[in-house]
Amino acid sequence: MEKQAGGAGAGDGAGANRKPWGSPTCGAAAGDTLDSPTGSHVEWCKQLIAATISSQISGSVQPDIGSRDIKTLPGLRYGAQVKMFQNQVPLLPGETIQTTVKDVMYICPFSGLVTGTLTVTDYKLYFISVEKDSPFILDVNLGVISRIESISVPNQGENNKGLELVCKDMRSPRFAYKMEESQPDVVEVLTKHAFPLSHSLPLFAFLYKEQFPVDGWKVYDPAAEYRRQGLPNESWTISKINSTYELCDTYPSVLVIPTNITDEDIKRVAVFRAKHRIPVLSWIHPESQATIVRCSQPLVGPSDRRCKEDERFLQIIMDANAQSHKLTIFDARQSSVAITNKGKDGGYESESFYPNVELNFLEIPNIHVMRESLRKMKDVVYPTIDEAHWHSFIDQTHWLEYIRLLLAGAAKVADKLESGKTSVVVHCSDGWDRTAQLTSLAMLMLDSYYRTLRGFQVLVEKEWISFGHKFAARVGHGDENHANSERSPLFVQFIDCVWQMTRQFPAAFEFNELFLITVLDHLYSCLFGTFLYSSEQERANQEVPAKTVSLWSYINSQPEDFTNPFYVDYENHVLYPMVSPRHLELWTSYYARWNPRMRPQVPVHQTLKDLLILRAELQRRVEELQREASSHSLSSSSDHSPTHTAGTPLHTAV
Amino acid sequence: MLTGSKTTFKVRQMLPDIKERMLSQTGVNARSRDLFGLRCLPGECVLQRAVMVRKKLTAREGRGWLSGTLFCTHFRVAFVPQDSPKPDDNADPVLLGDHDVALASIEKVVVVGPNRTKLVTPNSSLKFTPEELVLYCRDMRVVCFLFDRLTPESQVQEMTYSIAKTYQPPKPGSVLSFQNAALGSVEMKQFLSNRRRDAHMNWFESASDWEQELERCGATSWRVSSVNDRFEMSTSLPRFIVVPQKVLDTELKKSFAHFNEGRIPRWCWRHPRGSDLLRMASFQNNIYHEKDDIRNLEMILFGCQSSLCVVVELGEELPSPADIQLAHSRLRALCLGDISTSMSVPDDKWLSTLESTHWLDYTRSCLRKASEVACLLRGGHLTVALQEVEDRDMSCVVSSLVQVMCDPHCRTMYGFQGLVQKEWVMGAHRFYSRINYHRDNDKEEAPVFLLFLDCVWQLWSQYPSRFQLTEDFLLALHDSVHLPLFSTFLSNCQRERCKRSQNLGQCYTPVNGWRDVLHPDSSTDPSDPPLPPVWDWSLQYSKPRQSRFTQPVPPTPPLQPLLNGNLNTNPDKHRLTDAVPGSVFLLSRGTFSCPTNLLPWRNSSSSSSGVYKKSHRRALSSENVPGLERLLKAWALVEFPQALTSTSGPQGPLDPYEPLLPLLMGPCMGLWRECYLRGALHAQAFSHPLSANHLHPVERLAQEVQQLKDKLEQVSTSTDPTPPAVTAEPRRADTNLNQNTNNGTFLFPASRPQSAGALRAAPLPTSANQHTSRGAPAASAPQSRPAHKDMGGSSKHTFLFGHSSVIDAHPDQRYYSASSNAKLPKSNGPSLAS
Repeated sequence: MEKQAGGAGAGDGAGANRKPWGSPTCGAAAGDTLDSPTGSHVEWCKQLIAATISSQISGSVQPDIGSRDIKTLPGLRYGAQVKMFQNQVPLLPGETIQTTVKDVMYICPFSGLVTGTLTVTDYKLYFISVEKDSPFILDVNLGVISRIESISVPNQGENNKGLELVCKDMRSPRFAYKMEESQPDVVEVLTKHAFPLSHSLPLFAFLYKEQFPVDGWKVYDPAAEYRRQGLPNESWTISKINSTYELCDTYPSVLVIPTNITDEDIKRVAVFRAKHRIPVLSWIHPESQATIVRCSQPLVGPSDRRCKEDERFLQIIMDANAQSHKLTIFDARQSSVAITNKGKDGGYESESFYPNVELNFLEIPNIHVMRESLRKMKDVVYPTIDEAHWHSFIDQTHWLEYIRLLLAGAAKVADKLESGKTSVVVHCSDGWDRTAQLTSLAMLMLDSYYRTLRGFQVLVEKEWISFGHKFAARVGHGDENHANSERSPLFVQFIDCVWQMTRQFPAAFEFNELFLITVLDHLYSCLFGTFLYSSEQERANQEVPAKTVSLWSYINSQPEDFTNPFYVDYENHVLYPMVSPRHLELWTSYYARWNPRMRPQVPVHQTLKDLLILRAELQRRVEELQREASSHSLSSSSDHSPTHTAGTPLHTAV
Repeated sequence: MLTGSKTTFKVRQMLPDIKERMLSQTGVNARSRDLFGLRCLPGECVLQRAVMVRKKLTAREGRGWLSGTLFCTHFRVAFVPQDSPKPDDNADPVLLGDHDVALASIEKVVVVGPNRTKLVTPNSSLKFTPEELVLYCRDMRVVCFLFDRLTPESQVQEMTYSIAKTYQPPKPGSVLSFQNAALGSVEMKQFLSNRRRDAHMNWFESASDWEQELERCGATSWRVSSVNDRFEMSTSLPRFIVVPQKVLDTELKKSFAHFNEGRIPRWCWRHPRGSDLLRMASFQNNIYHEKDDIRNLEMILFGCQSSLCVVVELGEELPSPADIQLAHSRLRALCLGDISTSMSVPDDKWLSTLESTHWLDYTRSCLRKASEVACLLRGGHLTVALQEVEDRDMSCVVSSLVQVMCDPHCRTMYGFQGLVQKEWVMGAHRFYSRINYHRDNDKEEAPVFLLFLDCVWQLWSQYPSRFQLTEDFLLALHDSVHLPLFSTFLSNCQRERCKRSQNLGQCYTPVNGWRDVLHPDSSTDPSDPPLPPVWDWSLQYSKPRQSRFTQPVPPTPPLQPLLNGNLNTNPDKHRLTDAVPGSVFLLSRGTFSCPTNLLPWRNSSSSSSGVYKKSHRRALSSENVPGLERLLKAWALVEFPQALTSTSGPQGPLDPYEPLLPLLMGPCMGLWRECYLRGALHAQAFSHPLSANHLHPVERLAQEVQQLKDKLEQVSTSTDPTPPAVTAEPRRADTNLNQNTNNGTFLFPASRPQSAGALRAAPLPTSANQHTSRGAPAASAPQSRPAHKDMGGSSKHTFLFGHSSVIDAHPDQRYYSASSNAKLPKSNGPSLAS
């Protein structure tokens, strides 16, 4: 069964290793879904999601058997069974088939034409080949589609239409099919369900009926998180001033602000800050009390307006930290842009009006530059990879250059806090793009809690989701206006930076690469409610938590799949990543994963899981041997016993 | 034992001013050994020391700083960390401590003062007090020492001057004085002469060494010929060569003239499926071919395969030595930056500049060529002859890469050392000229061997679990190349090595090797100390460092006893259709052809050899070309994924001789950061507080398990009267344990938390692993089986076992899917697949 399913892709040299973990020929999880003996929904979705990925697929996420029963991970069983219908299209709970078209040809950029059946549901596009000897499946969730284009298909006779799905995740599958009078045009159906918001349909997240044993919406509780940080304290208070989103509609309801300031002053500060995004605390250093404060640009304007309350506000922030008599403002923008912004009524804090304030520009280009950079990257990695010029092409995208700028900026912020014991204010223009990137990365460097699986979820919920990163606009969920200049891969860039850090500090993060890829896949998928809409207020209005499932429910129901077996808690360690491009790498297992030749030798997360299991086994062995040794009851046997329990943190997961 | 307490010093070895300096420092010298715990070699003199110095640690060493005392001797710059344990006076001398730098490997000395950086030369004078001393090494390490404010200024200055004056700028003669400084003392010579060669590896020096290899590979129709015993047939070939059984020495002798430098086709390795790998130099074309000669040549070339021979021409697609040299020097410049200006390539040009060095292109082309050859060999029953004009550069690279890919034995440390010994040392790679220790032969200089090491590293990084040796080993070998101390690298061929040792007055002992016995008189000749082979790692590395050369858990036993006999039991669909006897094809640029002048004698001697002419013509029309191309496709599969279904299926996933074929696309070829970038200073700009000796939990766990095993062993032996039942218990546990560790070996390369290399967790896994993923029974069966077999002691069936365990795996699989169905009755998954 496996052999046959191997389909394409395992061209791998380790002939010995042949295993159909990827049939990435076309990026599809060819045999894998088929192989999965569990058939559990979660299992299936895993494959589909992170999935279909050459790098992550595993037909082998099979739990285990027999002797290794510790390996039996209950998490895998969570979730309902996949319903298998006619045409063997696996469906999610709540998913319905919209149309099925026979004799469709998939134009694989790697292996030519594949004929099969195309099914469109309200969640995904599912293509299965009819050729028995090389089963082939292509599974594209509709959320990932950026635009649908007709293409011309030469030499395929009359009535043939071509179709290209340009995706947000660096691939563009193409199909050719015959028009039939009797059936609605597949493009119409696709368009309708790929862009539901443009057609007055609900996003699929609202139709999804999966039940998970863990409720991911409970992961982030602002009060608990601030309590963890030791807040409130004498200088900082948890304010309800924005509980009705009146002060600022893009901020969360719970804010941490200085104690010594009146509501009236705050309102005046809000007027002076773009989009009313006042300076609020994101993170406080447990020892020095230095803080990371985020906000938007001050509305200085061409006439250099001042706002006494704002100046006092920053003074209070500085005073809240007794260790330093300075305050550093990091403006993420390029200084030239910040100056231009003055003309548009924006601007930056003048050092002459704000005493003891030091202003630094981090010179990070704007969202449009980033979008363009990633677009270039797509040309480099898909559909073909130029062997000889790979490196210079990567250079030309400048993507790694921007990653460097971000990491270096965040490292400066972290260093200011850690070494300089100085509080830091971070802003860009609106304080929801680059600001979120910088604060969250700096917090990741400073606070080991955010490097755990749970903590990272909290970080994303807090710095990105609750503080109003405009996911809806940046990603364009369910919206057909693909040319919208509001779109930009800022969150992708952030996750890339995190990945770079996991490469440099392999043991410092509790989550693994699959976790990061899964997060990115669901950034687009619209399967979970987590990344929908642009602010806490909108999500509350749409009752997102009540009507949709959280991505964290899915992840936390089977944490072992997303756990890094090398993890050791570097508590109280500040991680300063090396930011020279020499030490940055292109995340090929994400960006270039649709290229079948890119598959790694083995599914990564499976290995990691095996490592966890092996470790448990070794530990068991050690214990057994120890028992045995002690039963020999020799004096010598006692001195080695305590070593392992003390030193080796074992994962609860296994 | 010699303790180094006696300081003998040979005046003539040193420049006069250094002598003075040294003498003036004798006080320091005597004291220092007592106070600071620097363990000197016999005859080594401390020229200068500086206290309160901190050494910057690289990522591999755990980053951060280490404080201690810095010494400059006339052989090395030594650094002794503060809390290092007191040296054991009875231990064997170690040339270099973990933190030491040999003077000969220093390329440039740079000091950093307040706001300035200065390149220090023997004649320069310092106008400021350095805060930082940076040593740029030939092996691309950059070692950085920081002086404390409390370090006496005079010590700082003197130290800088001492190093600047004593490190040896490349010039003829400096190598010799360095060798003398390190090994020249009577005690050292005696010590070295008492060293025994490591018997774990094959040195390929004697006829029996070669026979052992023939037996290991199951190459029964080959024999060892001593026709070149006195280097009369070919000056560069080793004394013993392997040729077909059926060719007599007298016949053989006539064939030398037909090849460049007399390097006739010789056997290198036999694939268990029955293919042979040969290498040879180019043909001498302007020579008359006697009928008998032709018969002999054909016999030698076809070896034991009567039908098919593929000549792989290595000139065309592979870089020339000059290319390699240029690429390497660019790579150096890129990775180390321009030292004097401390400027480096702008960040946004880093990758493009890296690309334009072409270093990665060259590693790729070597790996590609080797992959092609490996795929041909896998096809079975043919002879692949690597041909290069001189047969001393790229054929060393390709033949040894092929073996690393195909033969698990060559992926063990000892196996790899044997491989280098066989293909490079005996194969007469011109180490001496290529490395150019004396800097007197720049034209010939080319780091071909380093390119090879990089290729091996690429393989390692894609398949770390298939190697018993580690990156540390490759690094150690890489660094040793730059140290002009080892006989391995200081000659161009066996003849030169023999000559050299004869000059030393050694006995000529053909069978047992000539290095073993050192004539007592040799120590009287100070100009030429006896040189150790590089494989004597204890001379260079402490035990803990050496233990990192291999996976921490003992390698799986089945790696050792190898292919034996032609066990081509796999019904092989790669198999070629019966070829016309005597067909020869040329493989070039991925396609096969049979140019008329491929074998010069077939072309020229039309009158005399009608037979060959005829067969040749038939071969031309051969149906074999497609057959061959199919073989290659296994390699090209990577480019044409569809083709896979047909080939991947029936292959036993456990066949240990399936070549490790590397992925060669741009994103898959990595830069060996751990080697080339370990010194890049900015890499250390931010230090991470994690301490160096923080072992990774998995590694620690493995250690604990090992310790416990030892303890148990101890316990059970010491309490001898224990009833057998009790002893049996722990022992069984041991075997079990072995299984676990076998499964687990793949862990360890990735377990060092700080190394970037470790991060390659992605490609970590391998077949064993995959099996694991299928479920425990499948995983343990194949692993344990060879182990049992090994205990049985019969190595004959290794290959069979690989095969049978495949069969075993099937029931497992069936069992598995059944069980999973049972567990999850609702699942429709499997039914879909059928």
